Amino acid sequence: MRSDLDRILERKLGRGQFLKLAAAAGGTGILAGCGASSGESDDTDTGAAGATETRPSIDQEKGDLKVLEWAGYELPTYVGVKAYANTYPKPKYTFLTSDDQALSKVRAGFRPEVVHPCVGYVQDWVNLDVVEPFDTSLMKNVKDLNPAMLEGGQIDGKQYFIPADWGFSSPLYRSDKVDTNEDTWALFYDEKYKGKISWWDSLENLIVAGYVNGVDDPWDMDDGELEDMKKFLISKKHVVRNFWASQTDLDADMKAGNIWIAYAWAGSYVAAKDAGHDVTYMEPKEGRLSWVCGFVLMKDSPNYHHAHAYVDEWSSTFSAEWIMLNYAYGHANTKADLSKLDPGFVEVLHLKDPSALQEPKAHMDRFVPRRKEYNAAWDEVKAA
Amino acid sequence: MAVEAQPVPHARSGWRPRYRGKNLTTAALIAPPLLWLVVFFAIPVVLVGLLSVGGIVLFPGDAVWTLSAWKSFLDFDSVYLGLFWKSIKMSLIVSAICVVIAYPIAYFLALGTSKHKYTLLLLIIVPFFTSFLLRVAAWKFILGDQGLINSFFYSTGLRADEHPIPQLLYSQFTVMLVLGYVWIPFVALPIFVSLENLDRRLLEAASDLGASRWQAFRRVTLPLSLPGVVAAFVFIFIPTIGEYVTPSLVGGNRGFMFGNAIQDLFGPGFDWTTGAVLSMFLFGAVLFFTLIFARFLSMRQLST
Repeated sequence: MRSDLDRILERKLGRGQFLKLAAAAGGTGILAGCGASSGESDDTDTGAAGATETRPSIDQEKGDLKVLEWAGYELPTYVGVKAYANTYPKPKYTFLTSDDQALSKVRAGFRPEVVHPCVGYVQDWVNLDVVEPFDTSLMKNVKDLNPAMLEGGQIDGKQYFIPADWGFSSPLYRSDKVDTNEDTWALFYDEKYKGKISWWDSLENLIVAGYVNGVDDPWDMDDGELEDMKKFLISKKHVVRNFWASQTDLDADMKAGNIWIAYAWAGSYVAAKDAGHDVTYMEPKEGRLSWVCGFVLMKDSPNYHHAHAYVDEWSSTFSAEWIMLNYAYGHANTKADLSKLDPGFVEVLHLKDPSALQEPKAHMDRFVPRRKEYNAAWDEVKAA
Repeated sequence: MAVEAQPVPHARSGWRPRYRGKNLTTAALIAPPLLWLVVFFAIPVVLVGLLSVGGIVLFPGDAVWTLSAWKSFLDFDSVYLGLFWKSIKMSLIVSAICVVIAYPIAYFLALGTSKHKYTLLLLIIVPFFTSFLLRVAAWKFILGDQGLINSFFYSTGLRADEHPIPQLLYSQFTVMLVLGYVWIPFVALPIFVSLENLDRRLLEAASDLGASRWQAFRRVTLPLSLPGVVAAFVFIFIPTIGEYVTPSLVGGNRGFMFGNAIQDLFGPGFDWTTGAVLSMFLFGAVLFFTLIFARFLSMRQLST
């Protein structure tokens, strides 16, 4: 496990150089606790069965599947890709570094067939009118996926998104330097640690502030609430040393001692531990944030069946185990074997606690309907 | 008469094809760069212009021609307009400092040494052999809380351990320092060229007429090198107005600039309309400054 993690840390992954190399060496326990059963996914409205009937069969397809993917997931050592490539031609990969960049590429006319966005952006893909729902009856492994995550990938009852990798976001701090009585996100605003705090450069800061200040729905605040959170963050901004944009930068700053407290994915916890620091990955009373990424299917893919087969291999138990072991991410497959993981990580990340990924302990990433207003507010915080 | 008249049509007919050939050559030479400019510059600018007024939209169905994004941007208390002035101010300071620092370097290279001039010039450019990100990372090692400078202060007892100089890293000072470091070699080049082309006999004449070295510099060298200085200033001022990488890497909580706002709007904000407004405004501003500088430059060149 250590050597696997070392490899991860040495490698430059995508997602803004290593972004979200994170979370939860596992989560299978949690996911199993969510009550997945093979029967439940049958309720899912496939929504695309009609589309399947009008398609050429898989043998008639050319098979040159074009995938827009995070760097690191295309590696031939990744068993999911390997299994797919054993049966079908190897996919042609193009890489994304962020959700918005992927969307921009497609908006500009680029046409992949399968894309790997995160759940908060699925609605944008639908709004852009470039994706169609999956036909889950074509995928044998979907029944093993976390039903809550699957549900999060439905729009108007149609399965536009198949969940795959996931992880947590939470405060990370140096236990030897920071003395906190209470586990709370409010540590980000503590005057005592002025100049040693790093926020992620993201409008998610407004959502965190919303949870800290007890806003009803931090993901969909009205103008008044948004204004209040903006003012709150502006009043606290002076304690922040920087807003980190890439995880490698944050890891370097934690390592060098420039930063003691930061918004972080679990990969940064691993990196700080590896650097020899005594760090805590907090479980704040307001709840951790969590993210899940997966697949959307582009409209009119000439390799419709290949696209389904590719995502199906991604959803398999052995894919899940490989992702967890090699990238220290969680995986939506609930049948993966937790005992293959480092018990230390399972313990530190509470992976055996079935409620750790559910409200109120964790808040799953989701579509922000007023993203434009959130972004403007976040820009104002940064410009202040 | 007739005999004398003969060569005229000959000359004409001989001259015409040459003229046509010249035309063709000129057209052939101009066409590729012109095509390049149209495809990669003019058309994108028009597209961004259309985006800014809702002629093109990110999501289908949103298309409404409107100037509302322009109106809110030009509002007196618009946060983005404030950022624009902040960026202009930073660019002006960085450009001025760079020119002041680069001038003696260029002067030394052009007039002070003759033997190894080009070797030294190459040495100035050597840092550009490595990537920009690596160079910024190196600055972090130097300026960090446990970095070279702070460690020196700790070891000499000038500052207590765990009490680093906070402004060293992640501040506007750092942004200016790194931008200066990045741009000084570029700034030195145009100044070097103008000093290199200086007619040395003018300096000798100044000296013969009794001017001190300082007087000769102030009355001869400096005025004659001004076009290079202005060019150098433009070289750094224009690109740094829209700079967003350096501020986001080392600017800390004060590092948010106009360029960063554009990036946010086209990126995670998904507000391409406002992003396009900011881009077009920046484009207009840069055009304005370039025209002013260009006019100044040509005036100077005329006067020399």
